[in-house]
Amino acid sequence: MTILNTPAIEGAETATAAGTKAPRRAAASPRSRGDKANWPLTTILVLCALTVVVPLYVTISMAFKTQAQAVDGNAFSLPAPFSLEGFTTAWNLTNFPAAFAVTVLITAGTVAGTVILGALASFAISRNWDRKLFRYSFFYLLAAMFIPFPVVALPQIQLTGLVGLDNPAGVVLLHIMFQLSFSILLFTAFLRSIPAELEESARIDGASTWQTFWQLIFPLLAPMSATVGIFAFLASWNDFMMPSLITSDPALQTLPVVQSIFQTQFSNNYNVSFASYLMAMAPAIIVYLFCQRWVMEGVTQGAVKG
Amino acid sequence: MPRRRSAKILAPLLGVLMLGTGLSACSSADAPETVRFHLSKPEAIPYFRELIKEYNAANDDVEIVLDSSSNLQAGFLRGNPPDLGLLNYNMEMARFMERGALSDLSDMPEAGRILPEVQDLVTQYASYPGRTSVLPYSVMAASVIYNKQIFKEQGIEVPTTSAELTAACEKLKAAGITPFYGTFKDPWTAAQGWFDYTVGGEVDVADFYKAMNELGTEVGPDSPASFQKDFKEPVSRMKQLIDNYTNADAASKGYGDGNLAFAKGESAMYLQGPWAFGEIAKTAPSLELGTFPLPMTENPEDLEVRVNIDLAAWIPEASRHKDAARKFLSYLFRQDVMDKYNAAQLGYGTTTDAAPATDPRITGMRDYFEAGDFYQGPSKAIPLTIPTENYIQGIALGGDATQALSTLDADWARLALRR
Repeated sequence: MTILNTPAIEGAETATAAGTKAPRRAAASPRSRGDKANWPLTTILVLCALTVVVPLYVTISMAFKTQAQAVDGNAFSLPAPFSLEGFTTAWNLTNFPAAFAVTVLITAGTVAGTVILGALASFAISRNWDRKLFRYSFFYLLAAMFIPFPVVALPQIQLTGLVGLDNPAGVVLLHIMFQLSFSILLFTAFLRSIPAELEESARIDGASTWQTFWQLIFPLLAPMSATVGIFAFLASWNDFMMPSLITSDPALQTLPVVQSIFQTQFSNNYNVSFASYLMAMAPAIIVYLFCQRWVMEGVTQGAVKG
Repeated sequence: MPRRRSAKILAPLLGVLMLGTGLSACSSADAPETVRFHLSKPEAIPYFRELIKEYNAANDDVEIVLDSSSNLQAGFLRGNPPDLGLLNYNMEMARFMERGALSDLSDMPEAGRILPEVQDLVTQYASYPGRTSVLPYSVMAASVIYNKQIFKEQGIEVPTTSAELTAACEKLKAAGITPFYGTFKDPWTAAQGWFDYTVGGEVDVADFYKAMNELGTEVGPDSPASFQKDFKEPVSRMKQLIDNYTNADAASKGYGDGNLAFAKGESAMYLQGPWAFGEIAKTAPSLELGTFPLPMTENPEDLEVRVNIDLAAWIPEASRHKDAARKFLSYLFRQDVMDKYNAAQLGYGTTTDAAPATDPRITGMRDYFEAGDFYQGPSKAIPLTIPTENYIQGIALGGDATQALSTLDADWARLALRR
């Protein structure tokens, strides 16, 4: 129990710190240049920060309240007495470790699959743009962006059931499929900015197409891979509908789905639900903070090289 | 160097993908006697989890697996629904039964123990020729919840006629006490309490919907049965009670606010079901509460309570473990197991040999339940495609009742045409 609590709290605190830091930095930088503080902008940024910080504060304080205090109508009050009851109940009710592991696996598979398949497909498409097959396959893949999952949900349920993919592997596959079109759009745009001369020089040195891709292009794609990865991560980690409909074994269900039992019409278990949400949110916040920095570094790196 | 790096990235990714496929292999290889038991009522999970543990320990050849998260529609569509379901029975669940997706349980001894008037509640929504495929497990009876202390202090007796109710409300109002606490921010509370109690107290709900279903597309202002005609009286009484005897801020209060306010003694009566007792007890565990059916006429004989089948058991046709599921169903329907559940969840037993309800908070409805004086919520008999709750909320917030009811009629006829 305690092992899990610590990252959850840390994650939340890091996020709070990041949220409050932003406006301060914005206010400080113009002043250091000797200008007046940009008050309207600061106000807007503070308001924006509040929209993140306030719900986060409520989530954290609610998670540590007792059941009686959670329903007393004062969302902003500090937890008194401080209670871990919400966490234990949520942990047991959702079988947290199992659901968490499944969610991590699905998300990791989706991110890896999206980045690799997306990059491979985009490389092929952008380098063969003058050939009809590749050009049309690009449009074909892009067209998938206009098909929302709910529209094809029923056939997908039947299809995955027929081929024995009514499990997390099927969810990973579908997540990749639905993520692919947007990723290919991003990747091809980025690939066009990479000069063809780089590849030519690799070819002259005797590299095969496969080697060119893995040793030259894929590393250069890193910043875009990070962006694509973040999108895939968020979409997969937070998805409710697809795992809920596709996975048939309840033991292999993801966190957002098992957490839905807290949302009932007849009872309010704010402390339990918020404790559970906090535990589910922590990894997403950590990964996002971590990846964001990486994206920034990657972008500047690419800019110098280009 | 770059080659090694890409290998380093690739290896774990491939590993994850392989693990994913490995998991799939586990899930598709079903152990011969695994019975998937679907139960989605969160409050009931701890109790049934214990039961399953005991049952699994006592039976080596079966393993019951609790399923509280899988999607039923998807399961039926895919052809692998849970082997045994125990959940709320409503119009949506009735669709599965109507189309023959649920197996016949009429040969089970448990089917013979169900009270006939309770079994009737199932067939009011739908039936499948020659089958008894849904067995009610627990019934929730709902009526007016009242604060016993406030009633005693004001010298008010439980009203049994419409006039007595008005008199009680006037007396409370004069003493500066809000008679009813309204929570109209949540549309379902307006439908569940206000609409259902007033309509059910005056109209024969089952007969009305039978006539409405037969009329189908012909429902309109001149048809023999219609919302605008049959519900006009009760809905205008509902509006009158809301306009005169609820808290002034009812429009901005939700279900959670209502439980809190009622627990703090801010009103004398509250139109909610027994599920609210647990919520009220979170704030005021020792508050003395009682229940009585909302009087709508001048004849105490007309009093009835609203019921719903909180849990009902069924076994899908597509289940591959029907026999094992039936055995577990028999265990669930054992008298001591059922009684314990109903006592804990403030439900009413559905069998002829069920122990009578003893919790003082719900005993006010016992006589009516035992005499069969009950109806299923009229708002629940309208398919969800029609936004009934929102129409009712509109009326509660001051909208025109006649107009809302004729809209309901038009929607009903349109839906019948579409089917």
